[in-house]
Amino acid sequence: MLRLDHITRAYELGGERAGVFGVSLDVPQGCLAVLAGPSGSGKTTLLQLSGLLDTPDEGEIFLQNEAVTALTETARCHLRLTRLGFVFQAFNLVPVLSALENVMLPLQLQGVGDGEARPRAEAALARVGLADRRHHHPGQLSGGQQQRAAIARALAPDPLLVLADEPTASLDHAHGGPLMDLMAELAAERGVTFLVASHDPSVIARAHCVFRLMDGRLVGEERS
Amino acid sequence: MILARLALRNLLRQRRRTALTLMVVVAGFLALSLAGGFMAQTFQGLSDAAIRGGLGHLQVMPPGALEGDEAQSLEKALPDGEALAARLRRDPAVAEVLPRSQFMGLLSSGAKSVAFLGTAVDPVLEPRFMASAEALQGGAQSPGGAGSRWLSPDPAHREVILGIGLAKALGATVGSSLTLMSTTRDGALNAVDVDVVGLQDLGLRELNDRFLTVSLATANQLLDAGPARSRLSIVLKRPQDTASEQARIQALLPETSVKPWFELASFYRQVKLLYFAIFGFMGLVLFLVVLLATANTLLMSVMERVREFGVLRAMGLQPRQLLVLLQWEGAFLGLMGSALGLAATLLLRAGLNALHLQMPAPPGTSHGYELNIHFVPMVYLIVALGLQATLQVSALFPGLKAARLRIVEALRHV
Repeated sequence: MLRLDHITRAYELGGERAGVFGVSLDVPQGCLAVLAGPSGSGKTTLLQLSGLLDTPDEGEIFLQNEAVTALTETARCHLRLTRLGFVFQAFNLVPVLSALENVMLPLQLQGVGDGEARPRAEAALARVGLADRRHHHPGQLSGGQQQRAAIARALAPDPLLVLADEPTASLDHAHGGPLMDLMAELAAERGVTFLVASHDPSVIARAHCVFRLMDGRLVGEERS
Repeated sequence: MILARLALRNLLRQRRRTALTLMVVVAGFLALSLAGGFMAQTFQGLSDAAIRGGLGHLQVMPPGALEGDEAQSLEKALPDGEALAARLRRDPAVAEVLPRSQFMGLLSSGAKSVAFLGTAVDPVLEPRFMASAEALQGGAQSPGGAGSRWLSPDPAHREVILGIGLAKALGATVGSSLTLMSTTRDGALNAVDVDVVGLQDLGLRELNDRFLTVSLATANQLLDAGPARSRLSIVLKRPQDTASEQARIQALLPETSVKPWFELASFYRQVKLLYFAIFGFMGLVLFLVVLLATANTLLMSVMERVREFGVLRAMGLQPRQLLVLLQWEGAFLGLMGSALGLAATLLLRAGLNALHLQMPAPPGTSHGYELNIHFVPMVYLIVALGLQATLQVSALFPGLKAARLRIVEALRHV
């Protein structure tokens, strides 16, 4: 599904060289994969490169065996819109839209009409247990509910790969665990691939495969 | 349409800021549309004054009549003006034709003589189509003007109406007897005795000091004019067709020169140019203020939504779509601002007109006028379109800033 081949992305941070260096990894379809490591290990950088939000200095990224590194910005936008989904640590729902409208948004950006987008978004919200909160705005939802709405938003367009950056970091243990269970269920149920950046042991414990990073380098790989 | 919906929601989210920005747009609309209404009143007043002051909608004159002075009376005249007038009266587009003769000479009270500019008119037709009677009412308010009346239609009556300045210079009042002296068409000196029947206030001091009006019959006796007339003033049934009728009638009368009123009314053209310059500059300044104010608002809005834009871009929104999103915000501000501005304009216009404010006399004129700001839909449309264009331009820079954001940096933005 996702293959990174000797990826390097370097930048200056506080006068020091940071980033990821020569990382290669392979994430199979339907896998709940975790990029694990301490802060500054390069998890988020790798996640952003995998999500085509940034371009590597060296190396090649393959999505469904298609090289995507050298694509134009327009083509990358199209790939993100149609094949990728994102879940952020701070939820990042659009504040002026209701939960339902947030989930409809990527579908509408694809050009799907309201008539089709609405039932698909309602189904996605129902799947994450937010059917009764669909008309609430982000400010009216708890952190856990917002993150579930964000997952519904990422899943509504039926992506191949969902990238989640520290999805449980803003949640307490009582909400973080069930959220990861939900991701694992969705991976198994829909064959969606999840790539999650996290240093949370409860997240790592639920992963099908774990890529351990340290100082921007891949130092270990575990598969269950 | 999702971008339009997002834009509208974003404007409604920042209600106070949106309201402040709208106030700037509304103030711009209000100032420009009221100025436009005031200009329309002025232009309407000046065009009415020119047309009803004697020009009519079209004037027929001999070729070259506007070039150089006449050495003697009616040197530049239509030789058979009356026959030509009768022919034109049969034209279906013509409401009436008013023959006029212009002449110069001396007006004497016996003790004192003053140079004059005279106009001879048809005493029956003139008050029906021109503002002569209204000028007479103004003159009646002046010393010696009491009892002013219009010229008698009886050709046996030799009567004159004087400008109030001319009457004052001669010490003449209604009822005074004076002598008109001029040259005939052949160049011979001639004189007729006339009775003053009225005083006129023509609105311009220079005219009031020199101008007098007599009937065509009286002028014929003085000038030995026969059927010759200086000009024919044509009143059209459809004034809005002035330009096309000028071309048509000119083609019918190739031996004459047919001019529309707006070519002859030099004061009207000068004021129009002056107003366009003054209000054009004012408009430019106002558009600039709106541009800066709205650009600042939209830029602030972009800076507050950097992370949100990062998320939208991560979801697959193209950079140009962010540009479109900001253009929608500018468009909604323009639409709302113009709608509110129009409402405010109509309210304020009604209020100001209801006050019946008296405006001071414009330079060179002798009396003021009542403020009556006109309702001019075309001005409102032009102002709205101008403001809309200004807002789209003002949204351009913030839009470009949003479109150029690097996604990873935008997502890190706090």
